[in-house]
Amino acid sequence: MKKNEIIIIIGLLAVCLVSIAAFYLISSTDEPLSVRVSRQGEVIAIFPLSEDHTETVTDALGSNTLEISSGSAKIVEADCPDHICVKTYPISSPGETIVCLPHKLVVEVITGES
Amino acid sequence: MNSKAYRLVILSLYVAMALILSYIESLIPVPLPIPGAKIGLPNIITLVSLLTLGWPLTLLVVIARIFLAGFLFGGGFSIVYSLGGGLLSLLVMSLLLHLFKDKISIILISVFGAISHNLGQVIVAAIVVQTTSLLLYFLFLMLLAIPTGLFIGITARELMRLLSKTTIFAKLNLPQKK
Repeated sequence: MKKNEIIIIIGLLAVCLVSIAAFYLISSTDEPLSVRVSRQGEVIAIFPLSEDHTETVTDALGSNTLEISSGSAKIVEADCPDHICVKTYPISSPGETIVCLPHKLVVEVITGES
Repeated sequence: MNSKAYRLVILSLYVAMALILSYIESLIPVPLPIPGAKIGLPNIITLVSLLTLGWPLTLLVVIARIFLAGFLFGGGFSIVYSLGGGLLSLLVMSLLLHLFKDKISIILISVFGAISHNLGQVIVAAIVVQTTSLLLYFLFLMLLAIPTGLFIGITARELMRLLSKTTIFAKLNLPQKK
């Protein structure tokens, strides 16, 4: 590997880190946050992130149980085959998402009240 | 043995090895709560195949590996995910190899391959769930793809170095790249 290739790789890492930092900086806000649940682009429900809440979203494809507690949202239970959404880290900042691909479900944190 | 049959043997070996690496990978738990994060072990074979057989046959290796691994160890959705990632990754790696030939190392090709693999996966996911808010998720995947791509690239380079000392590829009559 040549020197300029190492520079390219370090550059890629830097771009990546700066983008993540910028993402969090831009999206950090004092406004109240909400959790938006949507399926195939259609919004199903919006919950305030500040209130503890548990909700099960069910449709023909299956069900996911969303739990909001102490300012972060997480899917605690799902009947999809891969359980990827359950393994995803709890989300609490605007722009963070949890995706359940088999159920075509997206849970995301948005700015603003419900 | 004629070179066509020989090529078929090598091709089958690649598919078998890639499949086993997929299986090993599915046994290694990723200690990070980021879905879709993987080491990318089968990409070692994709890289070696790309360098020895060229992209048209590597496309066969990649598609065969993804479908077999998907049916054997993954759910139906992992195939869609992996196809998006695997094909975009192969496209990017082939283009880089074609455009820069000797100016680019296997390691850098591997890093770009890993990043584009994640990009392909995220694009497929974004289409399936119809959302545009997966940018942050992609950035996290890309951050992980750089070290894993480096590791896979170094492994592939060492493997190529060892394999080129053998006579395995001598009968392939294909241009060799170091």
